[in-house]
Amino acid sequence: MLQGPGIAWYLGVAAFLFGTGALGVLIRRNPLIVLLSLEIMLNGGNLALIAFARHAGNGAGQIFALTVMAVAASEVCVGLGLVVAIHRRRLALDVDELSELRG
Amino acid sequence: MISGAWLCLLAPLAGALSITFAGTRISRRLAGWLSTASVFVAFAGALWSFFALRAADSHNGRISTAWTWLQAGTFKVGMSVLVDPLSTLMMLVVAGVGGLIILYSIGYMDGDEEERRYFAYMSLFVFSMLLLVEGGNLLILLAGWGLVGLSSYLLIGFWHERPSAVAAAKKAFIMNAVGDATMALAFFVLIAHSSSLEFETSFTTAGHLSPTTVNLVALGLLGGAAAKSAQIPLHTWLPDAMEGPTPVSALIHAATMVTAGVYLIARTHPIFEQARTVELVAAGMGTLTLLVAGLIALVQTDIKRVIAYSTMSQIGYMFLGVGVGAYAGGMFHLVTHAFFKALLFLAAGLLIHALSGEQDIRKMRGIGALMPWTRWAFLAGALALVGLPPFSGFFSKDSIIAAALHDHWYGVVMAIAALVGAFLTGLYTFRLYFIVFPGEPSPFVREHHHAHHGKEGPLTMLVPVGVLTVLAIVGGWLQFAPVWHPLTTWLEPAARTLAVAEPTSTQEAVASALAVGLGLAGIGVAWALYGRAEAAVPRLPAVQRVLEHKLYFDEAYDSLFYHPAATIAVWLTRDFEEPVVLATGTDLGDGALEVGEGVRRLQTGLLRTYVFFIGTGIAVVGIVFLAVR
Repeated sequence: MLQGPGIAWYLGVAAFLFGTGALGVLIRRNPLIVLLSLEIMLNGGNLALIAFARHAGNGAGQIFALTVMAVAASEVCVGLGLVVAIHRRRLALDVDELSELRG
Repeated sequence: MISGAWLCLLAPLAGALSITFAGTRISRRLAGWLSTASVFVAFAGALWSFFALRAADSHNGRISTAWTWLQAGTFKVGMSVLVDPLSTLMMLVVAGVGGLIILYSIGYMDGDEEERRYFAYMSLFVFSMLLLVEGGNLLILLAGWGLVGLSSYLLIGFWHERPSAVAAAKKAFIMNAVGDATMALAFFVLIAHSSSLEFETSFTTAGHLSPTTVNLVALGLLGGAAAKSAQIPLHTWLPDAMEGPTPVSALIHAATMVTAGVYLIARTHPIFEQARTVELVAAGMGTLTLLVAGLIALVQTDIKRVIAYSTMSQIGYMFLGVGVGAYAGGMFHLVTHAFFKALLFLAAGLLIHALSGEQDIRKMRGIGALMPWTRWAFLAGALALVGLPPFSGFFSKDSIIAAALHDHWYGVVMAIAALVGAFLTGLYTFRLYFIVFPGEPSPFVREHHHAHHGKEGPLTMLVPVGVLTVLAIVGGWLQFAPVWHPLTTWLEPAARTLAVAEPTSTQEAVASALAVGLGLAGIGVAWALYGRAEAAVPRLPAVQRVLEHKLYFDEAYDSLFYHPAATIAVWLTRDFEEPVVLATGTDLGDGALEVGEGVRRLQTGLLRTYVFFIGTGIAVVGIVFLAVR
């Protein structure tokens, strides 16, 4: 029934996407790019979930992926809202400068 | 007769409660009358049960249980009253003399700010004592015992704005608590062996116990009796208790409280007879007390304290009586003592009242000229106290001495000590009399004496004194041991006098003659020393100092109990409470702050640090997961 490449390939791509995103989160300072990298990480996760769902032959993984997308959408809303708010207050768009919460 | 007993018990309680709840809605005067009426109703109840019991076929007594008070397994205690010859006798004395004293209080306390509280306490006191004497089992007796301690505390400390009164009240309560504790311990032993505190069961149980156990039980009871009756070594509270108002002293000394110990020994005599040694210890304790108290009374200068020490001494006689087994003799002296001691206190109260609170006998000299009736009343009480015929003390005291005379060599020793006590009684009583009454009124008396509408006091005070004077004279005619002994017969079903304590006529005669002779000798010496002042009072500074310090009992207790306890307490404060208890709280707080200070550094505010921690965390979890699998 299953056609195409084996699950290992999918997982490889997913890991690559996740790694790229994580690297972006770690090294970029612009919050917009950080949010974007987060999306890439989430999509890496989604890809792995769907690959496993196909591999296991049931739909549970796909449901998970849909849930993750919904959460990601809301998260982006909040994140972009924050970015806009920061911009409006004429603060630097730099995550290293935004360290008000330091103990 | 049971209804009479319940009436007798509950009337003073009703009086106390109604005065308490009526509060300021009734006048102070009405509170006094209410209290007096409640106690006289109790006296009527006592008379009712007395005559009913007399008319009954058997005088063995009856127990009436209203309800079950406590139940635990097979152990069951009812709220019950006992009517038997012993309890009716006590009911009559307590309610009768108590009623007279409360009537007297109406005049004495007139004008005091807190009269209502006073009268509520007085009724409560009488109720407690009646509960004690009517209690149908040992636990009810103990409840009354404790309530007597409480109400004496309240009344001794009645003038609560005086620090000395508060201290005296606390002292009385604590000394009594010692006795209560030993008594409770004795009851626990009884419960352990018979799971009952009924009189009959306990008495039969005592017969089966091992000698050690029964001695322990008797010792516990004796401890309670000694504390309540102010016998050496638990006597130090009694003289201090004079801080209360004078009628309170009269009530404590005559009708209630101090006689409770004598009653307890008479009531539980089957236990004491199983522990004859302890019973004789009681007698010895009484003998010692009567001598020591008589000696201390010789140097006191406060009129109430002299009388207080004479009470201790007379209770010593009663302990001697019940200790050697002459229960009826001890109880008889209790009755006559209630009459003449109440009289002495109330007469002293008249003097104190007329002199606006002065109690120092050296300042009172010559007051007899201004208050002749008080003088005669006091003289009657004093003669009864010394025990001269035909005054009441003669009949009761001599039969105790005669009863002691019968009992082995130690009986003879105790009887001789009691005779010496009779001499001392004559000496200290008439020292007081000769210092206070005869002669020209001193300037102090002239200045401070004020008559009450031309009389020696208000009528409410004079009437009880008059009644008690008559009783102090005729009260002893109730019984003249060799020929006429209705009291002994009456008490026989409840407390049969031991055969060993039944004196022969010769002994009675010898004891009477010696006691009267020595009493007269005491009066004579007092007259020579203080009345005519012919001979100088012998100067024995060392002896006098020891006696004025009351043989250093207070000092000894201070250094034995108070100072070690205080030292330990100070030490614990310094080395335990402050470094450990108090420091723990602040140490905990400081520790939390320090930990917070350390943890604070983790919160950098930098996004990448958090991501790094999350990543590292996941990695660690993943590795652990793989490794464990």
